[in-house]
Amino acid sequence: MAGEPRIYFDNAATTPVDPRVRAAMAPYLDGCFGNPSSLHVEGRTARAAVEQARRQVATLVGGPPGRGIFTGSGTEADNLALVGVARAFAGQPVHIVTSAIEHPAVRETCAWLAQREGVSVTYAPVKSDGIVDPDEVAALIGAETRLVSIMAANNVVGTLQPVRETARVAHARGVLFHTDAVQAASCLSLDMQRDGIDLLSLSGHKLYGPKGIGALVCGDNVPLTPVIHGGGQERGLRSGTENVAAIVGFGEAARLCSATRGEEAARLVQLRERLIEGIRARVPNAYVIGDLYRRLPGHVCLGFAGQEGESIKLMLALDEAGVAVSTGSACSAHKASEPSYVLTALGFDALRARGALRITLGRFNTEGEVDRFLDLLPRAVGTLRPITTRAGAVAGVCS
Amino acid sequence: MTTADVALPGLDCGLCGFKLCADLAARLPAQPELLERCIHLAPKPTPSTLPQPLPKREGGETTTLPRPLPERERGAAATTVAAPRRAAGQALPVMPRAEVEPTWQDSLGREFDFYLEHFPEEPGPRETILPHNPLLTREMEIKVGDVLIGRPLGMSCGCPITHCGVATEVDPRTGVIVWCVTGPLRPRQEGFKDLGYYSAEAYDGLIRKQRPEVEVKIGMRYFFQPRMCMLQWRHSGLVNFMNRTKEGLQVRLEGLWIG
Ligand code: SF4
Repeated sequence: MAGEPRIYFDNAATTPVDPRVRAAMAPYLDGCFGNPSSLHVEGRTARAAVEQARRQVATLVGGPPGRGIFTGSGTEADNLALVGVARAFAGQPVHIVTSAIEHPAVRETCAWLAQREGVSVTYAPVKSDGIVDPDEVAALIGAETRLVSIMAANNVVGTLQPVRETARVAHARGVLFHTDAVQAASCLSLDMQRDGIDLLSLSGHKLYGPKGIGALVCGDNVPLTPVIHGGGQERGLRSGTENVAAIVGFGEAARLCSATRGEEAARLVQLRERLIEGIRARVPNAYVIGDLYRRLPGHVCLGFAGQEGESIKLMLALDEAGVAVSTGSACSAHKASEPSYVLTALGFDALRARGALRITLGRFNTEGEVDRFLDLLPRAVGTLRPITTRAGAVAGVCS
Repeated sequence: MTTADVALPGLDCGLCGFKLCADLAARLPAQPELLERCIHLAPKPTPSTLPQPLPKREGGETTTLPRPLPERERGAAATTVAAPRRAAGQALPVMPRAEVEPTWQDSLGREFDFYLEHFPEEPGPRETILPHNPLLTREMEIKVGDVLIGRPLGMSCGCPITHCGVATEVDPRTGVIVWCVTGPLRPRQEGFKDLGYYSAEAYDGLIRKQRPEVEVKIGMRYFFQPRMCMLQWRHSGLVNFMNRTKEGLQVRLEGLWIG
């Protein structure tokens, strides 16, 4: 395939910046350099741009206009939600219910809160389909529970979580509900007011915007204590001079997603189905991980029965063939001692929990790329050394 | 109730693969099974093609993190779940993660005696390996610094996972290679030579943490947990070299098996 352009199928890791986003940002990297806190024309111009972006981001998720807090990343937004709420209840016992498959931005923050701030944390299990059961969450809520935090869509397997139903059980017990919508917001119709979401985290670079910008959108009357202190920007909840160009880009990215979401979701689902059908026909030992339909439109998580230990080789072979996908990391010095905790939570054994291949399609992927990938995949899988030649029969096939 | 009676949610969210609910509705008379694609209607999740997962542990994951977990979380689970109460204003207990006592059980719940760590100056765990065809070392002109991949097979070890590493010593006469196992980034960046299958003949590393009741002696076989083992499966091996260093007890283990 020499000379063919590379195929980028790792949109869950990050998305390319949409040229329209880049164009919207350009003036704020050049002429419009004002500090939004300044009172002169330059400052007021920047302020107007920031506020417009805030409205655009709120519109994307059906949040109250003006209630978004811009942060440096989705991770920071999650930290602000969890730490900010926990600290708002200072002096009282705080219990948080979250799930076993949250992104490290939530998982590690919860672990830190438990270790360093005396917060109790309960991790709701998921079933083998990769979906949290709201009834199980309800059963975990106690008198001291202040916050339930369940992601809108899982970043590893792509499964959609029952956000509205979980928010309902939280509210029924007077508990706040937060969702990490970083992975979901580009193509999932979320509406904070309709769905009962009190806090929602977003990241610019997962929706065709720039890196280094995120937001926590808050409902009214949500108690929140700042984590970063200083000049009192962002209503005192996130000090630091605003990253105006990135905020403008984020706003434009949110606007574009709002405008095209349903149509784009349908297109990605069709691409996804084409991909799954093609894999089914060509690689009989492949299996899809997680619920087939309750998943992000462009997200496919695959295992290869009997070849799970070869995920590194598969990733290398695909990378060499010009395809960027994501997979578990190697037995290495770099943070490799853990199998995927997400797959482990789904009931995978330690080997299978290492063997997943994540293919995530996005706005700029085409049918032609899917077809090229389908041509390449059997060859790449064929280079793997199966642990047994009867693996398909043992572990199940894509059927 | 027939599909004709079903009112679609009207969200036009596209998650069924149709731009509009009306588009799906138009297809339902001919293909009623499409209804399950509207995730807002389907009461139950759709079965995936996932092979049956293993049954979950008893005791319920509702109050603990899922297993297997790295040491710090295994040890921290109880405190994570039920943090000690403190009065307002009371100083917070500081619990450095490193001080958490391991459970000394691998991801399958089997006991082991110590963790084997890699040398701090090296990029990853040091292993002595032998390609299943030792002539490959010469035929492939493997030299120090080469990035290699391969899977340990058979008698030695039994690990089902492909490893990547960088050669640090090469003996073209016997085919024996010493490498440091690293992540996939390096082969991605630098290219690699594929050994196919190999035998892991020895591990060299440091013991920094061991069960309090265990005394490590030369000539004895132990269960140990390579810190970087991605499966977190215990291994066993015979200690045939020991040297106390300021970083920990340096050991070499041969006669390796998993379990
Ligand atoms: S998934 Fe349901 S609500 Fe969404 S467009 Fe399809 S039919 Fe309509």
